Amino acid sequence: MSIICNHIDKTFKTGLGGKTVHAVTDVSFEVSPGEVFGIVGPNGAGKSTLLKMFMGFLRPSSGEITLFGKSPSDPLSRMNLGYLSENPCFYEHLSAIELMQFSARVSGVDSKKTKNKISRLLKLMNLEHAGKRKLRGYSKGMVQRAGICFALIHDPDLIVLDEPMSGLDPIGRKLLVDLVLDLKSKGKTILFCSHILNDVERLCDRIAIMCNGGLKYILSHENLIEQGKQVTLSVSNLTREGSEKIGSTGAILKVEENQTIIFCSQKQLKNIMNITAAYGIKTSNIDVSSNTLEQLFLDAISVDVVEEVCHV
Amino acid sequence: MKRIQALAILTFKEGIRDRALYGITIMAVMMLLATILLTNLFGHELGKVMVDLCLSTIAFAGLLLTFFVNINLMAKDIDKRTVYSVLSKPFSRTEYIMGKYFGLILLVFVSLFLLVVFSTGIIFIIKSADASLYFKDFSWICYFQAFAFQLMMFVLLNAVIIFFSSITSSSFLTLIFSLSVYVTGQSIEEVVSFFKKEALVYNITSPVNQFVVEYLQYVFPNLSAFDIKMFASHGKLISISHTLSLFGYSIVYSALLLFFASLIFNKRELK
Repeated sequence: MSIICNHIDKTFKTGLGGKTVHAVTDVSFEVSPGEVFGIVGPNGAGKSTLLKMFMGFLRPSSGEITLFGKSPSDPLSRMNLGYLSENPCFYEHLSAIELMQFSARVSGVDSKKTKNKISRLLKLMNLEHAGKRKLRGYSKGMVQRAGICFALIHDPDLIVLDEPMSGLDPIGRKLLVDLVLDLKSKGKTILFCSHILNDVERLCDRIAIMCNGGLKYILSHENLIEQGKQVTLSVSNLTREGSEKIGSTGAILKVEENQTIIFCSQKQLKNIMNITAAYGIKTSNIDVSSNTLEQLFLDAISVDVVEEVCHV
Repeated sequence: MKRIQALAILTFKEGIRDRALYGITIMAVMMLLATILLTNLFGHELGKVMVDLCLSTIAFAGLLLTFFVNINLMAKDIDKRTVYSVLSKPFSRTEYIMGKYFGLILLVFVSLFLLVVFSTGIIFIIKSADASLYFKDFSWICYFQAFAFQLMMFVLLNAVIIFFSSITSSSFLTLIFSLSVYVTGQSIEEVVSFFKKEALVYNITSPVNQFVVEYLQYVFPNLSAFDIKMFASHGKLISISHTLSLFGYSIVYSALLLFFASLIFNKRELK
């Protein structure tokens, strides 16, 4: 496994003798080599805190993290890792080339290959014209792209990106999406968190939804397609026995005035149709809706939001 | 070692391009040039005054550089989270502390070296221009020895900055704490001597005060010991044993500060 995250908890104390804040609560998952794993969640969900623990900037209060079998506190665990922080900040009197030279040198890149790697990455990130300019003259998007070059100069096997799309214009976003797809095709492991659900949905093999520090779901691409396609059936003449049978398939039943609405996935549909035929249940309407990650995300966090409101 | 060296060079490059550094250097050069205009005012004391003025200007520039450029270079790394980009590479936190420290020292050494070369030129010109009579006590060795003592003071003072940067997240707090240590370090010798001699004679001190002062002198660095301008202006050379012991004091004290800074920084969470 590239990443193993085992029952991670992280608590912070606010101020002197202040209350304890649970930033991350019992998060466990594994990321396989070559996998693109996305973490989505609302602001304050604990995504960045989790990534900072992977990088060794923060230590878990309990639980264990390993990157290629090494603890994040071991500097060697970052030998084969590229990281882009949220709102990256670099030495502003240096140029992108100097920054990449530094990155290459400390990551053990052969000095003969450094020049070629730098020009290739600058070209890839559309920064060729600004490579020698000081970073203080860069726009936010350019700094973000320089940060990506800084993270990738040593061709790492594991890439951790914290909100990589923030500050990028549509062209920059396109460049990054293409880059991630290219890295994916080369078998690199990528872990990133983002607010832009479309990109996450498009790029990731698996997606974790985080809310209030906890992990709500981990969805694979197949799960997402399966759960995303939701079927709604309107039925009448539903007997008690028939409703129990339909309920046992995992479908959700909702009784309205003269009819019952059944919510199910496409996989469950065949079984439900057999049951309705066997019990003589009349189906008046079938509606197949395409449920996006956004809807699933909102559904996942709405439970927590309700809980939070109830606590207040 | 390769990583420490790379970070030191990176820190040096970042510092050398800071406009504040240019401002400090220009100001110091102007002050050194101004000493030429004052040559007629001091008569027989000219040699002594020149040494004193040049070394004071270099020390002042070094202090400005340390407190305003170097604190920015170190503390803002943590303040602005630039540290994330460095520590995302295979750096241990101790390597980070050492790399930053050597970068700051390199910046101070190069800047002050340029100033001492410039001041040497000015002294040489004035000394050669019909004023050699007034430079009877002057000695180049004493002048450069005093400069070397100043450098050792900055070796220690920059370790103080690193130490406070490892504790606080704010560059302003690092500045306040480091300035306090500098002021205390410059006056601790006088305070201790006051308590030991005059206060005891006139019985105006309590045992608690004595105890506190006795131990404070070991906690705070004695920075005034590195100020040998007066000796240099009178052409008096400090003995090799005293020089070596003071250099040793600076290195050991700095090493201890860096050790504790590294210890604290290793435990620290970078939120």
